[in-house]
Amino acid sequence: MTLPRRSFFQFLARGTGAVVASWAAVKGISATMFREVLPARSVAPTNQKWVMVIDLAKCDGCRDCTRACGTMHFVPPMQEWVKVFEVLDNPAAGRYFLPRPCMQCDNPPCVRGCPVGATFKRTDGIVMMDQERCIGCRNCIAQCPYSARSFNWGEPQHTAAELSMPYSMEYNYPHRKGVVEKCIFCPHMLRAGKLPACAQGCKMGAIYFGDELEDAVTNSKGETIPFTKIAKRGAAFRLLEELGTEPRVYYLPPASRKYPTPDEKKALEMHS
Amino acid sequence: MISKREEHLLSTLTETSGRFYRWIALLLAIVLWGLYAYVHQLRHGLVVTGMRDEVSWGLYITNFVFFIGISHAGTLISAILRVTHTEWRRPITRLAEAITVFALCIGGPMVIIDLGRPERMLNLFRYGRIQSPILWDVLSVSTYLTGCILYLYIPMIPDFAMLAERSSLGAWRRRLYKKLSLGWTGSPQQWTLLERSISVMAVVIIPLAISVHTVVSWIFAMTLRPGWNSSIFGPYFVVGAIYSGAAAVIFSMYVLRRVLRLQDYLQPVHFRNLGLLLLSFALLYLYFNINEYLTMGYKFEGIEKEYLTRLFFGDYAPMFWTVQAVGVFIPALLLMAVLGLGRHQSFTIPGVALASFLAIVGAWAKRYLIVVPTLSSPFLPGQRIPWEWTHYRPTWVEWSVTAAAVAVFLLIYALFSKLFPMVSIWETRDPDAVPVEAEAAAPAPRGWGAISSIPIILITLTLAGASLAHAGETRKPRKPAPTALSLEWQALPADKLAAASAEEEPPDAITAGRVQHSLSQLFGQLHFGSKNAEEQKPPSAIALKATLKDERGAPVAMQPVSFSLRTSFGLVQYGSRPTNEEGKAELVVRERRYGRYPVLVAYGGDEAFGGTRAEISVDFGLRPAPGLPTAGVLIAPYATAAIGLPFVIFYGIMWVVYLYAFGYLILWRVRRAGREKHPN
Repeated sequence: MTLPRRSFFQFLARGTGAVVASWAAVKGISATMFREVLPARSVAPTNQKWVMVIDLAKCDGCRDCTRACGTMHFVPPMQEWVKVFEVLDNPAAGRYFLPRPCMQCDNPPCVRGCPVGATFKRTDGIVMMDQERCIGCRNCIAQCPYSARSFNWGEPQHTAAELSMPYSMEYNYPHRKGVVEKCIFCPHMLRAGKLPACAQGCKMGAIYFGDELEDAVTNSKGETIPFTKIAKRGAAFRLLEELGTEPRVYYLPPASRKYPTPDEKKALEMHS
Repeated sequence: MISKREEHLLSTLTETSGRFYRWIALLLAIVLWGLYAYVHQLRHGLVVTGMRDEVSWGLYITNFVFFIGISHAGTLISAILRVTHTEWRRPITRLAEAITVFALCIGGPMVIIDLGRPERMLNLFRYGRIQSPILWDVLSVSTYLTGCILYLYIPMIPDFAMLAERSSLGAWRRRLYKKLSLGWTGSPQQWTLLERSISVMAVVIIPLAISVHTVVSWIFAMTLRPGWNSSIFGPYFVVGAIYSGAAAVIFSMYVLRRVLRLQDYLQPVHFRNLGLLLLSFALLYLYFNINEYLTMGYKFEGIEKEYLTRLFFGDYAPMFWTVQAVGVFIPALLLMAVLGLGRHQSFTIPGVALASFLAIVGAWAKRYLIVVPTLSSPFLPGQRIPWEWTHYRPTWVEWSVTAAAVAVFLLIYALFSKLFPMVSIWETRDPDAVPVEAEAAAPAPRGWGAISSIPIILITLTLAGASLAHAGETRKPRKPAPTALSLEWQALPADKLAAASAEEEPPDAITAGRVQHSLSQLFGQLHFGSKNAEEQKPPSAIALKATLKDERGAPVAMQPVSFSLRTSFGLVQYGSRPTNEEGKAELVVRERRYGRYPVLVAYGGDEAFGGTRAEISVDFGLRPAPGLPTAGVLIAPYATAAIGLPFVIFYGIMWVVYLYAFGYLILWRVRRAGREKHPN
C-alpha cells in the first residue's frame, strides 16, 4: 500500500523539479534571446518629447498646412500627409475643420503591427518611417485608425529637386514605389531648431508645436504658450481617445470660432 | 496480393485520357495568363489593382484567408480520425491531406503577391519583429506547411515501396518511388516505427491546425477597425475554416470519385459521415455568424454603425445576404434534406457535393466580406478623394491572379493524382493483411505540454527623480546706464509642491498605481499605463525674484518688470509684475518643465529710469532619461520575452516533434531497419 503513495510523491517531486528546471531554462533562454537594447536609430538626436496642439477655433480650412507639407516633402500627388477634414460630430452641431497630421501615438498601432520595424517609435516621440526597409505589406495602414498613412501604389511622380537629395528617413524622400509614407513631424527641421512645415505654414497660427518637457508650444506667429496651460485651460482633446493610442497631437475645441465655418464658407463661395 | 480495386486505383497512375491533357492545358493557360498579370503588376506596381489607400487590402488577402481556410480541414479531419482510430477514414485521409498541403502552397504566396516590395521579403527574417501578427503568420504557416507535408508524406512511404516494384510503371517513376520509400522493406519494426511516427504527428497537428487559423484571424483582430476589432475572431475563423475545408474535402472526393472512378473506395458512407460533419459545422458557423453580427447589430454602436449599415442595408447588403444564404443556409437545408429525410437518400452523394460546392463559394465571398467592407468604413472616412478609392473594384489583374491561384491549386492536385495514388493502399487493405502488431497510438511525447506558464521578465522603466532644489546662482546683471536688474530663482519647498499637486491627483491614484505596479511585476511590460512615467511628476514650482535698483544701488519701487522664458522655438511670456518698496518683483512659475532654461527679466524704463534687462539660467529639474513610452513591449524595436516566448515555445515544440517523428523515427530508424534486413 505504501508503494503507490511513495511513487506518487516521487512523481510530485520529479514534476516540481522539471517545472523548476524548465523555468530556469526558459529564463536563461529569454535572457540571451530577448536582449532589450534600444537600436541607435530609435534614439533621437535630442532628449525631447515633441507635441503638437491644433487650435480648431483658429483653423479656417485654407489647407496651407497641407500645401506647406507637400512642398517640404515633395509629397506625391493624391497624398496628403496633413489632411484637413470637415467633421460633423452630430447632425445638430455644425461642421468644423480638423487638420489631421500623423498623431505620433505613444501607443502606436502601426508600430505594433509592423513586421520588419520599418516604422518605429523614437525616444523623442516621433513615429518614424523607413522606406528602405518597408516591404509594403500595408498592415500599418490597416492598423492606423486615423488613416494617416499613404501607400505609393505606382511609381510616384518625381521632381528634379526631390531627386537631387539623397534619401533620408528624416524627410522621407525621394519617394519610392510600393512603400508606405506618412507625416513624421519634419525631424530635419527640428534638428535645425525650426518648426515643422505645417506649423510654420499655418498663417492663422492654429498649429502649435513644441517640446512637452520644455512645457512650451509655439506657432507660426511666434506665440509661445506653456503646453500644460493651453491644454488645461483650452480643454484639449485627442482624436479617438477611446482607442487608447495616446496621440501626441492635441486639439483645442472649435469654440467661439474666429473664421467662417465650413458651411458658411461654402455659402460665401456660392454667393461670390 | 493486389486486389481488383487496387489494380484499378493503380491504373489511374498510368492510364491518361485525352480529357486529362485538355484539362491540364486549360489550367496551364489560365496559370500563364495569371503569370502575365503578375508580371504586369510587378512592373507597374500595385497601382494596376483596384486597391487604394482607403481599401488597401483586397482580393489577394481574401484569397490568402480563403486558401488557408481550405487547408484547414484536410489534415485536421485526418488527424482526428487517425487519433480516434476511426476505421472508415482510411480511403479519405490522403486526398484530404493533399488538399491541405496544396492549399497552403497557394495561400502563403498570396501574401507575397500582395506585397508592394516582394523583393524585400527577406526583411521578414532579417528584421522580423515577433510583436507583429504578420510574423506570427510567417511562423505558424511555415510550421504548419512543414508539418502537413510530413504528415502527407509519412503514410505514403509503404505505398512508395510497393509502387517501386511494379513493372508496369516507367523506369524514372520507379526510381522516384524507390528514392521516396527511404529503404522501406515492410519489416515489423518499420511498421511499428511508422505507426508511432504517424500517431505523434496526428496528435500535434490538431493544436497546430487550430492555432494557424487563429493566428490568421489575429491579423484582423489585432487592429482597431470596426468589424475586425472582435475577440471572437479566432474561433470564428477556425470554425469557418473547418467548415470550408470540410466542404473542400467532400467536393474533391466527389470529383475524384467521378473522374478516377474510385467508387469502390469512396462509398456513400464517407459522404454521409462527412456530410454530417459538414452539417454540424454549417450550424456552428451559423451560430458564430449570429453571435458576431447580433452582438454588434444589437448595440449599433458608434463606428460599427456605419459599417453594419452598409453591410445589412447598404451597398454590401446584396452580397452579404446572398453569401449568408448560399454559403450557410442553403447548404445546411440541403444537407438536412439529403441526410435526414429517407426518401432523398439516393441523392446523398450529389446532394452533399452540391452543398459543399456552395459552401466553398460562400466561404470565398465571406472572406471578401470580412476584408473589404471593414477597410472601406474607416474612423475618418476619406474626403476629397476619388470615388474609386473608397469603393473597391478588383481589376483584371487581381481577377487573373485569383483565377491563376485556383488553377495552380487544381493543376497541382491533378498532377499529384497522376503521380501518386490518391487513396492510401496499405491503409485500405484488409486490416489482417497489414502486419501491424504494435499498439498504434503512441501517446505524444510527454513533458512538452507541461510548459504552460511563461516566466515574464520585468523591466520597470525608472524615472529620473525630481531634482533637488539648487541654491540659486545669481548672475551679475549687465550694466546699462541708470538701473540694474538682478534676478534670482529658488525652487519652492516640497510641502508647497505637494500642495500644488494634491489637487490634481485623485486620492485613489496611489492605490491604482500600487495595483498597476504589482500587476506589472507579474506581467512584465504588458500593462498599458495611461500615464507616462514622466507625467507623474508634479509641476515644479520656481520662484523668480527680480530686484530693480538704480545707479546708486537704491531700490526702484512700483515699476513693471516683465518675465519671460526662452524655449526651443520661442519665448514664453509671463507678463509683468510691479516692484515693491525694496525694488523686488516676484513671480512663481508652476509648470511641468524639465531642464535648464534662460529666464529673461526686462524693465522697459520710463522718464526717470532707463531700461534694463537680465538673464539667468534656471534649473527646472533633470530631464527624464530618453526612452520609449511605457506602452512597452509591443512597440519596442527588440523582441521581448513576454510576447516572443509563447510563439517561440509553441511553434518550437512543433519543430522538435517533427525532428523526432520524421527525423529520428523515419529518416534514422526506419532507414536503418531497412538496411539491416537487406545488407548490401
